[in-house]
Amino acid sequence: MDALLKMLDGKVDQAELFHLCSRTTPIEFHSGKLESIKDKQIEGVALRVIDNGRLGFATTTDVNDLSGLIAAAIAAAAFGEEVSFTFPSKRESKPPQVYDASVANVSEEALIEIGEEAIARIRTADSQAEINVSIAKSVEKVAIENTSGLKLEEERTTVFVSIEVEKVREGDIFLLNDETQVRHLKDLKPGELVDRLEEQLRLGKTIVPAPSRKLPVVFTPNGAIALLLPLIVGFNGKSVYLGTSPLKGRIGDTVLDPRLSIADDGTFFKGPRNGAFDDEGTPTSSTALVTDGVLQGFLYDLRTAALAGAKPTGNGYKGGLFGGGGFRSLPGVGMSNVIVGEGATPQARIIAGIEEGLLVEAVLGLGQGNIASGEFSNNVAVAFKIEDGKIVGRVKNTMIAGNAYNLLKDHLIALSDSARWVHGTLNTPAIAVDAVSVVGQGN
Amino acid sequence: MEGKIKQAIAKCSADYTEVRIERERRSQVLYRKDKLENLETSSELGGIVRCLKDGGWGIAVFNDITQLQEKVQEATRVAKIAARHNAEPVALAEAPVVQEEVKAHLGHDFRNVSLEEKKRLIESYNRILLSSSNRIVSTNVRYTDSFREVTFANSEGTFIVQEIPDVTLLLVAVASDGPANIQQGFETFGEAGGFEVALDREEDAANAAKRAVDLLNARSVKGGKYTVILDPGLAGVFIHEAFGHFCEADFLFKNERLAKIMTIGTQFGKADLNVVDEGYIPGLRGNTPYDDEGVAREKTYLIKNGVLESLLHSRETANKMGATPTGNARAISYEHAPIVRMTNTYIEAGHHTLSKMLAKIDRGVYAVKAYGGQTMFEQFTFSAAYGYEIVDGKLGEMLKDVVLTGNLFETLRSIDMIGDDRTLYGGSGGCGKGGQFPLPVTDGSPHIRIQNVTIGGK
Repeated sequence: MDALLKMLDGKVDQAELFHLCSRTTPIEFHSGKLESIKDKQIEGVALRVIDNGRLGFATTTDVNDLSGLIAAAIAAAAFGEEVSFTFPSKRESKPPQVYDASVANVSEEALIEIGEEAIARIRTADSQAEINVSIAKSVEKVAIENTSGLKLEEERTTVFVSIEVEKVREGDIFLLNDETQVRHLKDLKPGELVDRLEEQLRLGKTIVPAPSRKLPVVFTPNGAIALLLPLIVGFNGKSVYLGTSPLKGRIGDTVLDPRLSIADDGTFFKGPRNGAFDDEGTPTSSTALVTDGVLQGFLYDLRTAALAGAKPTGNGYKGGLFGGGGFRSLPGVGMSNVIVGEGATPQARIIAGIEEGLLVEAVLGLGQGNIASGEFSNNVAVAFKIEDGKIVGRVKNTMIAGNAYNLLKDHLIALSDSARWVHGTLNTPAIAVDAVSVVGQGN
Repeated sequence: MEGKIKQAIAKCSADYTEVRIERERRSQVLYRKDKLENLETSSELGGIVRCLKDGGWGIAVFNDITQLQEKVQEATRVAKIAARHNAEPVALAEAPVVQEEVKAHLGHDFRNVSLEEKKRLIESYNRILLSSSNRIVSTNVRYTDSFREVTFANSEGTFIVQEIPDVTLLLVAVASDGPANIQQGFETFGEAGGFEVALDREEDAANAAKRAVDLLNARSVKGGKYTVILDPGLAGVFIHEAFGHFCEADFLFKNERLAKIMTIGTQFGKADLNVVDEGYIPGLRGNTPYDDEGVAREKTYLIKNGVLESLLHSRETANKMGATPTGNARAISYEHAPIVRMTNTYIEAGHHTLSKMLAKIDRGVYAVKAYGGQTMFEQFTFSAAYGYEIVDGKLGEMLKDVVLTGNLFETLRSIDMIGDDRTLYGGSGGCGKGGQFPLPVTDGSPHIRIQNVTIGGK
């Protein structure tokens, strides 16, 4: 790929080459049975050029047609947007440990065993449950090179396990799932997923009616995404620049309860999305978003930072806000690891203090409602009724709605004392808030 | 290439082998607010091998197509491992051997339109959105085109080359009158056609902007149970998301309890309810002349006269469930194995007019266009882009935050009137399933009226 930047020499003002080689082995179990093994080897290149101040972009997987790639990017730059950023040059950073040879070397048989063991355990707990499992290991080599003299390369490993449990009874289908994603094989704890799923299966045996009124709701770490997603959208420097973030112009203001602190940290200890640099070669860092309830800053990629007159925070990721990865899309503002600070109360004690309310583990329709304004409105996918401090059963066909900014500023009950990784990017405790609108159907 | 593919398949020791090689050329123009966010032309070349050996599936995906031979061996190797752990060997239902070339029919071929011209058009729509009101704070205007040439071959002798065009246009206006009130209006288009799909959309752009501004003054709907009329757009998304996915046999075929719920012949709706998945209607995005297993398209009645008539199948699910493949095994690209997917899915027209459906509703909600939706088995939630209250048989005030939720089977039974005005929408997004997004599909419906729908709200 060295030759490619040389081919562009003198033709454009700036150029950046993103080169991804990945090998992923997904293994799928369906209804408890091994369904398929896949070996996926992908190589792709993305080229950004800036010429006369205008940006052009092209990608290809046809590595024998690099001249076609160059021609496409230059053609786009002729009519592209005027941009004012410069591709970064080399800066020192302390890279986190993101490569584990034991992931690269683990056999398909060993991964299959993880799946078979999880399935056997859940079957023992509940012989009626249908179980789907996905396991994948991946090794990704990312190389970024640009005309500012930057030349970076990092190899990253990931192991991913997701377990889905379905329970079908007359007139009722109960679906649970949980997942984990780590960079090092020794950090993989599929047994913890199974423990949590078994607990929910047990709690969900009884179905109880849900009331329709404002109630306290305890969001487990997994369920907390319903509250946190509107905030994450609001912390995006792009939303701030576009004027769609309600946090615009409020740095220094108390925007959340003083017990809440939130940061984005691409170097966080054991963070599943750790890396030495983002998809533009900017070193990752820890960016305080909210500290003790006070808004500290926003997340930026190169382009948005230049527009907003801000500093890039190492949050230029391909594949959208949740950083889907790959090589195909232009980088934009994305999260690395989002860290919500823990509280001091065990989740069980928070529940014990609630006279009547819900415990929400998962919601349907994430992102529905006007999330830019902080509004959420979701059907609960997995939720339990709390009465006199005890979980009395599962609720179905129940909507919860509220405004995340309002609830997390004025109605926070407590944060639990144990955060965990959820949704591949988020480390959060359970969050209990009061005055959530609940609409139940009675059964 | 044809010779190399046939040779690689001939040399393979698996019981069944298929190869799919894909070339794609695509472009995108994207405006957000006053900025041209992306202007891009990209290309793709890659392949996938799928092998069945002793009843186990092995799959290999690659970009370097000179490695085809090695990848066939790799797929066979992992298929053998899968077979060792698979108590229930996979087999495929029979499918006719096909040798055919399917050419695309484009009006105004977008491959002959310069990137500059595409940019100018999208810029003009963006200007309409931005200039229509001083309360428009942002926009999202996106044009995409894609031309794929997909070659499929299998060890039974099928060899098909298909050209698949796709054009989409998304027009979104975001309006605000303060940080607490941000609303959006949108229009979407998508067809298996040429550049003409994106042309002459000025009025649609103006409508999207007007709706975003109107929503600033709309009232939030009050949570509760209502008689609801869904417009054809929202009803189409409902039938696709909430019901169509339930008919995909790969979701049921290993799960006896679910399969039992979906027993052919079960009454799901009133006698005038008919739901269809149709693999080819000229110009539609969901068109699949041959699916990614080389099986020809069908017109499949999922519900006929209120009764479950058929499911959607791949060769594997058809074999397991004793059915015939329906041509619904689709993959979004060479990176994925085919899974059971919809194509063009719709509720057939009934005989009621909208005004007749409105009459006699004392208090209801008219819900228009889908903003988003998710389903979990029989539970679903959909958010409408906007709505209107229905008072004494007439449309009243505009409503926002209309999120509908319910149980699929109860809701199907509660459809009590079906309109005479079926409309189909390709949209600018696509369908997602099993990590494969976006798959071009079309869905649609006439207006439908449903009793007792729960609407969330404060």
